[in-house]
Amino acid sequence: MSANSGNSEVLLRMEGIHKWFGKVHALKGVDFEVKKGEVVGLVGDNGAGKSTLIKVISGYHRANEGKIYWVGQEVKISSPKDSRALGVETLYQEQALAPHLSIARNVFMGREPSRALGFMDKQTMNNDSMEALAAIGLHLRSPDVMVSTLSGGERQGVAIARAIHFEAKMVILDEPTIALSVKEVQEVLDFVQELKEKGIAVIFITHNLYHVYSVADRIVVIAHGQELANMQTKDTSVDQISKIIVRGTLGEEV
Amino acid sequence: MNNDNRIMGFLSRNRIAGTVVILIAVVVVATFRSPDNNFIRVANLKNLGAFGSEFGIVALGVGLLMIAGEFDLSVGSVLAFCALVFTWSNELSLNPFIGLLITLAAGVITGLTNGLITVRGKIVSFITTLGAMMFWRGLTLWLSRGEMRAVNLDAYPAFTSLFTGDWFGFFPAQAFWFLLLAVILTILLHFRRFGNWIFSTGDNALAARSMAINTDRVKITSFIIVGVLVAFAAVIQTTRLSAFSSRVGTGWELSAIAAAVVGGTSLRGGIGNMVGIFMGALIIIVIENALVLARLPYEWTYMAFGLVILFSVLLDLLIERRIQRAST
Repeated sequence: MSANSGNSEVLLRMEGIHKWFGKVHALKGVDFEVKKGEVVGLVGDNGAGKSTLIKVISGYHRANEGKIYWVGQEVKISSPKDSRALGVETLYQEQALAPHLSIARNVFMGREPSRALGFMDKQTMNNDSMEALAAIGLHLRSPDVMVSTLSGGERQGVAIARAIHFEAKMVILDEPTIALSVKEVQEVLDFVQELKEKGIAVIFITHNLYHVYSVADRIVVIAHGQELANMQTKDTSVDQISKIIVRGTLGEEV
Repeated sequence: MNNDNRIMGFLSRNRIAGTVVILIAVVVVATFRSPDNNFIRVANLKNLGAFGSEFGIVALGVGLLMIAGEFDLSVGSVLAFCALVFTWSNELSLNPFIGLLITLAAGVITGLTNGLITVRGKIVSFITTLGAMMFWRGLTLWLSRGEMRAVNLDAYPAFTSLFTGDWFGFFPAQAFWFLLLAVILTILLHFRRFGNWIFSTGDNALAARSMAINTDRVKITSFIIVGVLVAFAAVIQTTRLSAFSSRVGTGWELSAIAAAVVGGTSLRGGIGNMVGIFMGALIIIVIENALVLARLPYEWTYMAFGLVILFSVLLDLLIERRIQRAST
């Protein structure tokens, strides 16, 4: 029944994933694996297939071929709803939050608690959203604050607090540090550490190798729709990964 | 910067304060500038409550839809079509309560069509409802040959007094329905889960979808709400006039958007408040009434609405800019 290779800790396992967009072969049989509580850095050049792979996991794209296993069970992910039901939270840059809504309304977007007669339980929304933020070390003034008035790092924090509050098993961060100041980047990397400590797996997609190197357990390089390298962070260096990406090969001579 | 944040925080949460000021201003001007104090006469206020509420009911729906990020330019034409449907039911000697239900069903269908074409075709609703605006008006003119028709409801006093009566001798029934619908929509928009889905859909549909909100269904439902409100307004208007005219509702599509905007609704969706939209509708009603009382030519009404829209949009722009500045 279990398809994983005897490793009970595997959370997500993808085998032979193919994806075509018309004539474009975006993913050419990718195998990808994430263990429970593991932080995986997903890197590669523009158009390498990183986002396509992520969108297959989050249910925005359906793979044309291949199998997906979740904790050893084969699953079909055909909509964001399916992905979310498994416990996957995908945080796309600038797409995770509604900027003109309050923190509380964002944290509970689509999952608003309700009381008798279907009224939103604003009290619970306010208290729980503040608690969730405090749990990752973010102390904001009020749950009524509009998200657009927060800093970039704080916004990522709201999205991550939401993932933790709803007990996500895996969080996908798509370029979470792009366009952030140095201080805010550090905040976001701390949030990732927080997720890891809570046993939540993270897929961290980025162009910035230094950011990913400091938090990832493992780094996967994708090029031309295929996995090019898959290394434990401790066995590699930023320099080596960067060479692999630039050359587009494993670079045996290194 | 902290100070700036506080001011903007207040204004963004109390954008409604701006609407209140405008409402008071137009009421004061209407009161003191109307010839022979016509504006505050009981007869005029009763009139205002009666026919103003018909427009107000439509504006509530248009504002709600705008928060969900869509426009409906077809409300005026759908009003005429629904009036014709209700007229038919009267000509077939149906009980008007049955006629009301049939007309509401027609409103559901027009709203559903607008919603489905917009959402499934991924077409801007400004265009789909522009098409619907021409289609429903044209169909209504063709089916009615543009003629006025009498609608006789004398046999149903319960119906006429329920929707168009003077309650306790002074309170127009229409105003009650306008208020009741405003309260219902306030609850829906601000206190129920569906309201949060409307805001999320209008503010950032991508985020809403990634949180598993069915944004298509939210939009279609909002279009249907507009259709039903327009149908209801058509029934009470036809009842009040005791007649059908294919010209009813012309220009309402834009005045309704004006009402929503002056009430603090963003043209880009995601921002708005039902109490603000309610007051925005009152502002439009009072301006129109005051200009008529002053015997100013009708062009003035359009100019006044234009200024009101521009002023509101500029105010919103100012707030938005300062919020952005405060966050960087």
